[in-house]
Amino acid sequence: MTGALIQFSAADLHAITPELVLVATGCLLILLDAFAPRARSWFAALALAAIVASLGVLFWLPEGGSFSGHLETSPLTTVVGLFLGATAAVAVLVAKPYLQRTGEEKGEFYALLLWGHVGVSLMTRGLDLLIIFIGLETLSLSFYVLAAFFRTLPTSSEAGLKYFLVGSFGSAFTLYGIVLLFGKSGSVRVADLARPDLAGDPVVIFALLLLLVGFGFKMSLAPFHAWAPDVYQGMPTPAVAYLSVAPKGASLIVLYRVFSSVFQSGLPGRVESGVAALAILSMTLGNVVALAQRDIKRLLAYSGIAHMGYVTIALAVFGRDALAAVIVYFFAYLVSNAGAFAAVAALYRDESKPHAVGLLAGEGRRTPFPAAVLTLCFFSLAGIPATAGFIGKFFLFQAAIARGLYALAVIGVVNSLISIGYYLKVVYTLYMRDAVEPEGPPPLAWAHGLALALCAAGILGLGLFPSGLWEAARSAAATLPFFGS
Amino acid sequence: MLSEHLLSAVVFLPVLGGLLLLLVPKSNPEAAKWLAFVVSLVVFAVSIPLWTRFDVGNAGFQFQEHAEWVPAIGISYSLGLDGISLVLVLLTTLLTPVSLLFSVSHVEKSVRSFSIAFLVLETGMLGALVALDLALFYVFWEVMLVPMYFIIGIWGGGRRIYAAMKFFLFTMAGSLLMFLAILYLAWANQSATGAWSFALADLTRLALPPHIQTILFLAFALAFAIKVPVFPLHTWLPDAHTEAPTAGSIVLAGVLLKLGVYGYLRFALPLFPQTALRFAPWLGVLGIIGVVYGAMVAYAQKDMKRLVAYSSVSHLGLVVVGVGAFTATALSGAVLQMVNHGLSTGALFLLVGVLYERRHTREIAAYGGIAGIVPVTTALFVIATLSSIGLPGLNGFVGEFLILIGTWTSAHRWWSVVAATGVILSAIYMLSLVQRVFWNPISHEENKSLPEIRTSELIAAATLVVAMFWIGVRPNDVLKRVAPSLEALRAQVESSSGNAEVRRP
Repeated sequence: MTGALIQFSAADLHAITPELVLVATGCLLILLDAFAPRARSWFAALALAAIVASLGVLFWLPEGGSFSGHLETSPLTTVVGLFLGATAAVAVLVAKPYLQRTGEEKGEFYALLLWGHVGVSLMTRGLDLLIIFIGLETLSLSFYVLAAFFRTLPTSSEAGLKYFLVGSFGSAFTLYGIVLLFGKSGSVRVADLARPDLAGDPVVIFALLLLLVGFGFKMSLAPFHAWAPDVYQGMPTPAVAYLSVAPKGASLIVLYRVFSSVFQSGLPGRVESGVAALAILSMTLGNVVALAQRDIKRLLAYSGIAHMGYVTIALAVFGRDALAAVIVYFFAYLVSNAGAFAAVAALYRDESKPHAVGLLAGEGRRTPFPAAVLTLCFFSLAGIPATAGFIGKFFLFQAAIARGLYALAVIGVVNSLISIGYYLKVVYTLYMRDAVEPEGPPPLAWAHGLALALCAAGILGLGLFPSGLWEAARSAAATLPFFGS
Repeated sequence: MLSEHLLSAVVFLPVLGGLLLLLVPKSNPEAAKWLAFVVSLVVFAVSIPLWTRFDVGNAGFQFQEHAEWVPAIGISYSLGLDGISLVLVLLTTLLTPVSLLFSVSHVEKSVRSFSIAFLVLETGMLGALVALDLALFYVFWEVMLVPMYFIIGIWGGGRRIYAAMKFFLFTMAGSLLMFLAILYLAWANQSATGAWSFALADLTRLALPPHIQTILFLAFALAFAIKVPVFPLHTWLPDAHTEAPTAGSIVLAGVLLKLGVYGYLRFALPLFPQTALRFAPWLGVLGIIGVVYGAMVAYAQKDMKRLVAYSSVSHLGLVVVGVGAFTATALSGAVLQMVNHGLSTGALFLLVGVLYERRHTREIAAYGGIAGIVPVTTALFVIATLSSIGLPGLNGFVGEFLILIGTWTSAHRWWSVVAATGVILSAIYMLSLVQRVFWNPISHEENKSLPEIRTSELIAAATLVVAMFWIGVRPNDVLKRVAPSLEALRAQVESSSGNAEVRRP
């Protein structure tokens, strides 16, 4: 340690160019909104350009640590960055026509989305628990506001307040966990947790449990899920498309990073059973409660809770292939779940009313394209072969079986069967019932159509040709230190 | 080019045709119908060389194709055809144009989507019949469900949504455990040899401990038993068959059910020979229960289509008995009977559809005495009935006879005694159906002006009738192609189970 508390070089700044681009564009959007309101119709394009530019830079960054090893640039952060950036791009494409329709096309929306995106990105790149926490808070603060974006709608205000209260509660757990880890290891760097004496320490285990709870809130993992249905219902749908995918993936990557640093020689038995119990609870509760949902956004919220249960199996399995399976799973979840929300945004006319599944009746014939994409997304979420969702489950269950966790795999597939019940409920409402709404949804904007087409292509592309993603995920997973590999 | 990739061409032409259909404007349903029919005819034409160029004495897989798919985890795109799959592939490529030809004059709602769903379904069925990689097989096996779900749910009868849902959930319930079993096999191969593989040829070489074999076998057997369906897992069948549109029923009974038996022969037997032989008596007993139970329930039906559906439970029960008996004759009979059932039940569903489209009721009591009014329909129906109940000279006789003879020579002689009652019962319920629908005095005024079968329907039904006579007169054309593959299967199963007996301490 030399004199200055903060010191960094041009190379360090270069390493965070992807984030800087996004932050600067967010600020620019706020300014433009105030001083050049006529440029509003270009905001989405600007935000999209920033996301694409940030992704482009990410691919050209030299690998290695920066800020004295507190920030990582590695195959892992690149692949995860691609996942996050693609989610943000889908959200922006859907947001443009959606906000125009609801008369809320403002710079804040895109700015908050970009800033939240920066937070998520920092979570996955941070090698330092404080950077991870700051990323988490940046994400949370942006999305508290986005949840309440429709100020005049009571459901939206409720969503904002609920997300804020529950989110702060969750953050407190995370922070407490970080403090305990710091107290035990004397450092906030993740790499410094890799000490043999820490792995068996009950305080460290307790601290990791707190992290699991804190990030469990962000992932809407049962039993920390209760906020999700209400928040999804009130939040603008494009923001949900992002929130329901990217932060969840980032949270699990963070958990994997910390766990793999502490437990260099594999998960201790009781930690494994604890994580497995959470996975089982989340899968089962999510799927069973989803069966009873009548609102499609709530249904998707519970489906998301169930999916977080599936993917948490991979944390219990704990290994290189399991982490690669997590990455593949989240890519699949991106195209299926963000695609589903994009389709929901295209299929409902009135944002101030609940999105009852029954209102979709007959839309399969009246609005064939969004309905077909929603169907495809649901088949993918249900894990039907030839879709991305199947590939996600394939590698996940393969990892569980290779690790000998047969019970988890069996409970997982039984849950897949339950989930078909509610996914098909939506599908048959779309195609096998006669329309109840006198008017169909508004015409599909091209940007929205593009988002839907991209998700559909992603579902089928990954479903039929998964090899490239699997190889990339395998090499990305090698970034984390794993026992025996 | 085409000759090297003949199987791929046959499998994927339907789905390519489906994509082509997307170009047809929705406002032109006639073009969509006929294009779909032409596509399915082309597929049939392309599949004929499989039959003519098939090396008859060769028991192994022919027309093989192999390409990497997900090399990191050992999934390959491997296709191959032996005698067992050959006859079922031809049955599929024949029944699809027949179903589509029938639908030309009867499907009115969203015609283009119907045609696309049907062609996707054909690709799924054909792919499952020729896949030699378990992951690839599973993909085709499950993909089939989706178009069938829509065909039943959108174009079906009154309780179509319930029937579609039940069909999907039942089939899926069976397959998911098989999915885990497949993953386990691949992993077992990895731990035994160090290499990931989903190829059937690799996985059959695994020496698994008996208790693991039992669990995996049960997972596979459940998936296939639901599809067949074996009693008591049959409850989805009457609903799905009855509510499906006619074309859907034809393919459902004609091909989809066969995939259960096919899967058992192709995968469950070679992968788990010891366990399969140990469970064969159970299978035979369930088959027998299916034969008798299906026949009795069929007799009690008031709805023509439901009656034919339950007759499928009975007939497939007999096939299962043949598989359980596991003698060369019984197995040949079982495979032949699968084809026969596809033809006769396909024709019965088609002709019930012809009547339904004219009267919009499937109630047996709503008909009666129409033989003089629609003589051609009657003649076709009677031939299909006679084929179904096994009249010598028609195809059904050969299959049933071989199964019963083959079972008689097996260790379970009494099975053939009980199963033979099923043959008699089938004559009772089918002939009484013909009696009540076509003969008896006319009781309903509407029936006096019942229109006769149309040309397109006639061609569709006549095609099946020709095939019935052909197999009835020249069964050896089919049997000589099937027998070597079945003999090889038997040898493989008995030798590996025999060796294992010796190896066991």
